[in-house]
Amino acid sequence: MNTMDLTSSPYQNSFGRSVRVFLGGSRVFWLILPAFAFFLIFFFVPVLSLFLISLDKPVAGVVEPQWSFTATNFIRFFTRDTYYGAALRSIEMATLVALITLVLGYPLAFMIARTENPGRNTFYMILVLCAMQLDMVIRLYGLMVLLGDNGLINRALLDAGWIEEPLPLMYNFSGVVIGLVQFSLPLMVLSLIGVIRSINPSLEEAARSLGATRRAAFWRIIVPLSMPGILAGSLLVFAISISSYVVPALMGGWKVIVMPIHIYQQIAELGKWQFGAAIAVVLFATSVLAVVVYQRYAAITAGGRT
Amino acid sequence: MAKVATSAELRVASQRRWSERAIPISIQIGAWVSFVILLLPVAVVVLAGLNSGDYLTFPPEGLSLRWVIAFLTSPAWMGAYGFSMALALVTMVISTVLGTAAAIVLSRYRFRGRDMLRAYFLSPLILPGVVLGLALYVFYVVTDIGLAKSMTGLVIGHVLVTCPYVIGTVSAALVAFDVSLEEAARSLGASPWTAFRRITVPNISAGVAAGATFAFIVSFGQFDVSLFLSTPNLTPLPIALYVSLRYTFEPTAAAAGIFAIILVVVSMLITSRLVSLRKFGGIKFS
Repeated sequence: MNTMDLTSSPYQNSFGRSVRVFLGGSRVFWLILPAFAFFLIFFFVPVLSLFLISLDKPVAGVVEPQWSFTATNFIRFFTRDTYYGAALRSIEMATLVALITLVLGYPLAFMIARTENPGRNTFYMILVLCAMQLDMVIRLYGLMVLLGDNGLINRALLDAGWIEEPLPLMYNFSGVVIGLVQFSLPLMVLSLIGVIRSINPSLEEAARSLGATRRAAFWRIIVPLSMPGILAGSLLVFAISISSYVVPALMGGWKVIVMPIHIYQQIAELGKWQFGAAIAVVLFATSVLAVVVYQRYAAITAGGRT
Repeated sequence: MAKVATSAELRVASQRRWSERAIPISIQIGAWVSFVILLLPVAVVVLAGLNSGDYLTFPPEGLSLRWVIAFLTSPAWMGAYGFSMALALVTMVISTVLGTAAAIVLSRYRFRGRDMLRAYFLSPLILPGVVLGLALYVFYVVTDIGLAKSMTGLVIGHVLVTCPYVIGTVSAALVAFDVSLEEAARSLGASPWTAFRRITVPNISAGVAAGATFAFIVSFGQFDVSLFLSTPNLTPLPIALYVSLRYTFEPTAAAAGIFAIILVVVSMLITSRLVSLRKFGGIKFS
């Protein structure tokens, strides 16, 4: 059997064939092995070990698995309001960030999707991608210079005489939300562009020719048809907001304690590996829950055009 | 109620269709507000790095290269920048090799479990970066095979989070490539390996290069995974910047930021030459 047999019969799907392919029917297939082994050893084994450690009894300073299988860490997490409060705060914060980025990101995504000039389109895409790829800590430097008590915004407002006291723009919950919005906006925009571009313009034209105003056509045709992108973008933004460490750490000034900060404190400062691992499991479970909810709703709103 | 449209009405209709293509002014305003939110902090970093005073005021006191020179002559900052550069280059090479090989199998063969295998390789993107860093750190400490507090340990973490990008970009290039070209080479007597090397590789090389650039830049800006894996001797630039922002908040950090911004802009310009950014979308979870 050579490679061409495989590529020229693309729809063959029998189990026997895949086993033959797997066991060396084709030498090219072995190309996947290094990556497969790498991910198995350095991703799945460590992550599963971390989950195992979260079920160990808490012993400060001990990392090694003890195979004791107890729910102590999780009971501790869900019975102390410091911890489950942090989880609720994380969820509330990530939901708020997803809503704000949607409102801010939709017009930008719409403009990029409807810009037909290839040069302009590429220029806009480069701006969004640069903003996304730039290290968040550098962007936070800019935000902190803008939003601090002595920052550019407060200074300008004080000099203009519009405010007496500096506005508390950071080192609080709203500062973290502003930081996370800046952080996740590019991902929302990228999720929306593809979906908005794929909406057939004749649907809007049909609505217009039947008497709908532009506003009505936008709200009743374009927005409902972009629902898959809205959901995908909101999920992505929710997931990266809830797992960000650096934004709450710098913009919250240790006053806004969310799950990633608890993980770091438990491990780096207190040496409580088992409990830190348990918080990590809760954080991961929350992200997965968001994916599950998303998939349920995506199936409904996609209306058959997945 | 039916009536025949006059030529004047048709002209109005065609004019309206032309104006429909224009983007409503309210949406344009909203779009530019978002651009300001995205780019203003970046502009502030550039200004702060080129400012002559200790604190950034508006308007700036004056331009100077004071902080840029402070960055270029500081062993700590240059060390962090160089370390991030080396880390990103090593990560890029390993990720590109592993990811390209995996993408070839994932997009050229149809077999049972292919979608599961694809999800297998994308899963590091779903796991929060801090959790992945922690899991690797625990793994290194428990197995005790010399990976804890080592550059190899950091590279492994970075490869895990950059490889999915390479697989995505190379798969897209392979899907766009017409397999019949390779079949033609085979029918003319080329061996499978020759056909692959002489026909397929040149056709997907732009996709591979774009994936490599992405791997480089994702690694260079990676904070979360590095948080648990870095040590005072092995400090990538994002961690050094974080420490500076927490404790000293010096404009040298902004000067370091300028050099990182230049690197990102150049990488994105290269990517835009290699692949069409129009087709670029978000990462898909489902």
